[in-house]
Amino acid sequence: MELISQIISLTFLAQVLRLFTPYYLGANAANFSERSGVVNIAIEGFMIISALGYALFTIFSGNAIIGLLSAIALSVLFSFLFALFVVKLKINQIVAGVGFNLLMAGLAKFLIVFLFQSSSNTPRFESLPNIPFLFDVPFIGKVLSDYIILFSFALLFISNFILFKTKFGLRLRSVGENPEAGESLGIKVRLYKLYGVVICGFLASLGGIWLASNQNSFSDGMIAGRGYIAIAAMIIGKWKPVNIFIACLMFAFFEALEISLQITGTFIPSQIVQMLPYLITILVLIGFIGKTKPPAADGIPY
Amino acid sequence: MVLQVNKKIKANIISISISVALTFLITIIIFLIIGKNPLEVFSMMFADVFGSGYGFGQTLFKATPLIICGCGLAICFHASLFNIGAEGQLNAGSFVIGLIAYYLSGYSFLIAIPLALIGGFVISGLLGLIPAIIKVKKGVSEVITTIMMNFIVLALINFFLIDFFAVKSTVHTEKISDAIMIPKFSDFFPMFRGSSLNLVFIVSIILAFATYYFIYKTKIGYEIRAVGYNETASKYIGIKINKTILLSFFIGAGLTSLVGLNFIMGYKGYYEFGFSNNLGFTAIAVALLAKNNPIGIIFSALLFGFLDYGGLSVNTLVPKEIMFVIQGVVILTILSVDKLVEKYYLKNNYWN
Amino acid sequence: MNIIEFTNITKVFGKLIANDDISLSIRNNSVHCIVGENGAGKSTLMKVLFGVYKQDKGIIKVNGNEVKFNSPLDAIECKIGMLHQHFMLIDDFTVLENVILGSELTYNIKLDFNKSEKILNEYIEKYNLDLSLDKKISELSISEQQKVEILKLLYRNSDIIIFDEPTAVLSPIEVIEFFKIIFQFKIEGKTIILITHKLNEVKEISDYVTVLRRGKLVYETDRDNLDIKTLSKEIVGNVEIKNDVQYSDYMGDSSIIAEFNKINLKHNKINILNDLELKLKKGEIYGICGVEGNGQNEIIDVLCGLNKYFKGNLEINTDKISLVPDDRIKKGMIKEFTVGENLILKRKEVKTINNKLLKKFAENIINKYDVRLSDINAPMEALSGGNQQKVIIAREIELDNDLLIFSHPTRGVDIAASSFIHSMILEQKKDGKSILLISSDLDELLKLSDKLGVINKGRIVAEFDKKQFDLQNLTEKTILLESIGKLMIGITGEQKN
Repeated sequence: MELISQIISLTFLAQVLRLFTPYYLGANAANFSERSGVVNIAIEGFMIISALGYALFTIFSGNAIIGLLSAIALSVLFSFLFALFVVKLKINQIVAGVGFNLLMAGLAKFLIVFLFQSSSNTPRFESLPNIPFLFDVPFIGKVLSDYIILFSFALLFISNFILFKTKFGLRLRSVGENPEAGESLGIKVRLYKLYGVVICGFLASLGGIWLASNQNSFSDGMIAGRGYIAIAAMIIGKWKPVNIFIACLMFAFFEALEISLQITGTFIPSQIVQMLPYLITILVLIGFIGKTKPPAADGIPY
Repeated sequence: MVLQVNKKIKANIISISISVALTFLITIIIFLIIGKNPLEVFSMMFADVFGSGYGFGQTLFKATPLIICGCGLAICFHASLFNIGAEGQLNAGSFVIGLIAYYLSGYSFLIAIPLALIGGFVISGLLGLIPAIIKVKKGVSEVITTIMMNFIVLALINFFLIDFFAVKSTVHTEKISDAIMIPKFSDFFPMFRGSSLNLVFIVSIILAFATYYFIYKTKIGYEIRAVGYNETASKYIGIKINKTILLSFFIGAGLTSLVGLNFIMGYKGYYEFGFSNNLGFTAIAVALLAKNNPIGIIFSALLFGFLDYGGLSVNTLVPKEIMFVIQGVVILTILSVDKLVEKYYLKNNYWN
Repeated sequence: MNIIEFTNITKVFGKLIANDDISLSIRNNSVHCIVGENGAGKSTLMKVLFGVYKQDKGIIKVNGNEVKFNSPLDAIECKIGMLHQHFMLIDDFTVLENVILGSELTYNIKLDFNKSEKILNEYIEKYNLDLSLDKKISELSISEQQKVEILKLLYRNSDIIIFDEPTAVLSPIEVIEFFKIIFQFKIEGKTIILITHKLNEVKEISDYVTVLRRGKLVYETDRDNLDIKTLSKEIVGNVEIKNDVQYSDYMGDSSIIAEFNKINLKHNKINILNDLELKLKKGEIYGICGVEGNGQNEIIDVLCGLNKYFKGNLEINTDKISLVPDDRIKKGMIKEFTVGENLILKRKEVKTINNKLLKKFAENIINKYDVRLSDINAPMEALSGGNQQKVIIAREIELDNDLLIFSHPTRGVDIAASSFIHSMILEQKKDGKSILLISSDLDELLKLSDKLGVINKGRIVAEFDKKQFDLQNLTEKTILLESIGKLMIGITGEQKN
C-alpha cells in the first residue's frame, strides 16, 4: 500500500522525470549518430567527459554557465575526434567506441585524483540556474524550472522535426540507410556522418552536464552505464524519437521504482529491476517484443 | 614459431612499434603538462618494477589475467566476433569457480580444482553462446547483445552473491580451504616475497602457447580465421559457418573464466564482486595491441601489467589512475596507426 | 545534331581495358541502343558519361562543349540522368522522400512536401506511372521501384537519360509499359541511351545502334539498316577455334551423377529456377551458356547443398563435389591465407597443421600446375589472377571428387593460363569425372563441352550435342552462333534443338 501511494505521488513523478532526462538526451544523441550510420557506443564516454568538464570548469571559473559552455565544447571536441576515427579513417566503430570510453573514463578518474586528491569525487559546486518563478511550484517545481529537463522534453518535437521534416534530416537519414544512393544524388556522405556524430556529442554532453549539475559534484562512476541504457532505449524505441521517449520513460520508471523499493524494503530484488532495461533490449532484438530494424547501413564505414 | 617475413608481418611490426612509441610520447606530454619530470617518473617506475623481486612479481601477477582474458578474446576476434561481453563472462565463471572450490574444499585439489575449472569454463562459455546463438539464428550483431549481457550478468551475480552466497556484510564468497590454494612463486623463490605472483602465471603462458597452437596450427583454428576473414568464401569452401561461430564464442568466452583461478586460488581465496575492475575491456586493448596473436598477447599483457603495477609504484608522483588514460591512448593509437600503415605502407597490396 | 560526342575514350581497370579508344556520337532526340555481351564495356562507358568514372583518355562533349565531370552531381547539372542497373533507392524511405532527396524543395526550414507532391503527381499522371508517393520502397514491386527511378529523373528535368539494362527485371507486359514511357520521352525531345542485351527490343525502339565487344566499338547502324542477324553476329564476334587444346572424345557412360527434375526455386517471390531439368553424367562436360543471373549461381548453390529451399526432385549420387566459383576473391579463397593454407582448408583428413605440411601441399600443386609465385609464404592476394585461379582449380581437382563444377573458370585470366586451365578440365573428363561448366565465354563452352545447355530465366531452353556444334564449316557455325545468341536472350521457337 505504501508503495502504491508512493508511486502515484508527485514526488515520484518528479523523480521519474529527473531520471528520464539523461536517458532521453543520451538516446537522442545515439539516434542522431546511428541515423547517419555511425554506431556510437562512446556516448557513455561523452557523458562522463562532459560531466567532468562541467564540474571542473564550474569549480575553476566559479560560473555555472561557463562550466556548461566549456563542457559542451569539450564533448563536441571529442566527438570531432571520434568522427576522425570512424568517418575519416573508417576504423571499426565498436572498437573505437571501446577505446574512447576507456580513455574518457580514465581521464575522469585521473583528473579528479590529480586535481582534488580524491579517488571518488570532486568538491561540491553550484548547479545550473533555474527558471525562478517556476521553481516554487510544489513537488515538481525543481523539475519544471530546470532548463535541461525542459529541453529534453522539447527534444521530442525537435528531434522529430529535424529528422523527418527538414532537408537536413532527410539527407542525414539517407546516408545511414544507403550512402551509395545518397552519393548518386550528390549528397556529401561523410559530411553528414560528421554532423550526426557531432550532434551526438552535443546532446550526450547535455546529459552528462545535467547529471553533474543535479548532483552538485562529479563522482567516479556516476554515469554508471547510462550511455549504454540510452543506446538500449534507442533500440527499443526503434530509432524513432517518440518511441524512444516512451522507452526512456519506462526505464526511468523502473529505476525510480527500484529506488522506492529500496526505501520501503520489499521482497523484489533491486538487481532484477536494474537489469530489466538490458533484458528487454535483448528480447526486443531477438524479436519477442515487436520487430526492430536499425538503419540499413548502420555501422558500416563508407 | 617460424618468422615469416612478408610485408604484412613487417607492417604489423611497424604499426605496433609506432603505436607503443606514440603512446610513450603522449604519456610524456601528459607528464609535462601536469608538471612532472617524465624522466623521474619513468626511472622510479623502472627501479620499482625491475629493482625488486616484489615489484617484478607484482607486474607478472597483474599481467596474468590479461594474458588469459586476452587469449579468450583473441579467439573471438579471429572469427570477427566482437565480444564486448568478457567482463560479464569472466565474472560469472570466476563466481562459479569460487563457489565450486568452496563447496569442494574438503576434497583433494586434484578433484576440486579441475571441477571448479570445468564449472567456470562451462558457465562462461554458455554465456558466450547466448549472443552467438542470437547472431546465428536471428542475425543480430553480437556487439549490442554482449554489451547488454554484461549488465544483466553482473546484476545477476550481484543478486545471487548478496542474497545467497556472500559472507555477511561483504561482497565476497566464503574463503576456500588452503589445501586447494595454488602455490605462490615466493614459496619457491624467496626473492618474490610478498608478491601475489603464483603458478597461474605459468598456466597463462602455457595457455597462450596452446591458444597460439589452436589458432594457427589446427584445422579448426584455420576455419575460425577463414570465417573471420571472409564468411562467403568460407561457405563456398565448405566450412560450417554457424558451427564455427558458436564454437569460437564458447571457447573464447569459456577461457575468460580462468582469470578466476588466478584471483581466487592464487590470491584471495574467494570470489569478490568487482575484482575484475574492467579487465574484460582492458583485455580488448591487450588483444588489439598484439594483433590477436596469443604470443604477442603475452608481451602486450606484460606491458599493461607493467603500466598497472608501475602506476601504483609512482603513485606518490603521479596518480596511479594515469594508467587508465594510457590504456585508452594505446587502443586509439594502435587503431589509427594501423589504418595509416595500411594506407601508406601497404598501399600496393591494399587495392589488389 | 549530336548532343553527346565521345572521342577516343579509353578506360582501364588494372590490366583490363574496359573501354578501348571508343568514339561515338549520340544524336539529339534519338533512342540510341548500346549492345554487347557482359563485360563488353557498355556500363563503363555510360558511367564515364555520368561522372562515376573518369576516362583515362579521350574527351566528352555535351551540346558541343567539352565537359569534365568529377561526380554524378556535375552530370546531373548538365541534365543527364542515369537509371542504374542496381536501383539507388532507400528501402525505408517513402517514394516521395526518395525522389526529392538531394534536390529538396523547402519552405523556410521545413521540407515543402505539398509542393513536391503536387509536382510529382503531375508527372505520375502524365506518364501514367501509377505510384503512390507515401508508400515505402520496401512495399513496392521491382517494376514500381523502376518507376520511382524514372520519377527521380523527371523531377530533375533530365534531358539525356541513360538506362542500364532497364528491362532485365521486367515482365513482358511491364516492358510494353516501359516502352510507352520511352516513346513519350522522345516526343518531348529527350535523348535516350539504352544499354541492353535484348535484340528484339533493340529492333522495336532504337533509332541508332552501337555494338561494343571486348571494350571496342565494332559496329554501328541505324534503324533503317538494322538487321538482327548481323547484330547478333557482331555481338558474339568471330569465334576462332584455337588449336591449343585437344578435344578428347566423348567418354560418357550412362551413369548419372546428378539429376535435376523439375527444380523450382524462388527468391523474393521471383522464380529463379523454373522447372529446371538437367542431367550430369560421368565422363561428360556439360556446358551451360546464358546471360548471367538466369539461375546459374542457384544451380551451384543447390548442387553444393548451400540452398535447400528448392522444390522438385533432386538426385545427387555423390557427396564428393568440387566447386570453382565464379568470383575467386569473394567466394573461392581466403586472400589473406597462403597457398598451402588455402589448400588444406578443404582437406577433411587434415586436423593439425605445421609448416612442413603446408609446404608439402603448396609445392605439390605449384609444380604440378605450374603456379608462379615469389614466396611460398606469401598470401594469395599477392599472386596474379591467373595463378590464384590455378591454385583454386588445383585445390578442387586434387580432392579427386566425382563431380566438378567450374563457374567462369577463365574469367580475368590471361591466355596462357586459360589454355592450361582448359587442358586441366579436359583431363578431368578423361578420368571419368562429371563436369558442369558454367561460363559466359561461348568460345570456351564450344571448345570444351560435350553437351551444351542454353539457360534463360532459370530453365534450360535448348540443348546441343557435340556433333551439332563441332562444326568446321564457317557458315554453318555462324548460323549456330546466331541461334545460340538468340536463345540466350530469350528468343525461342525459331530453331529449337
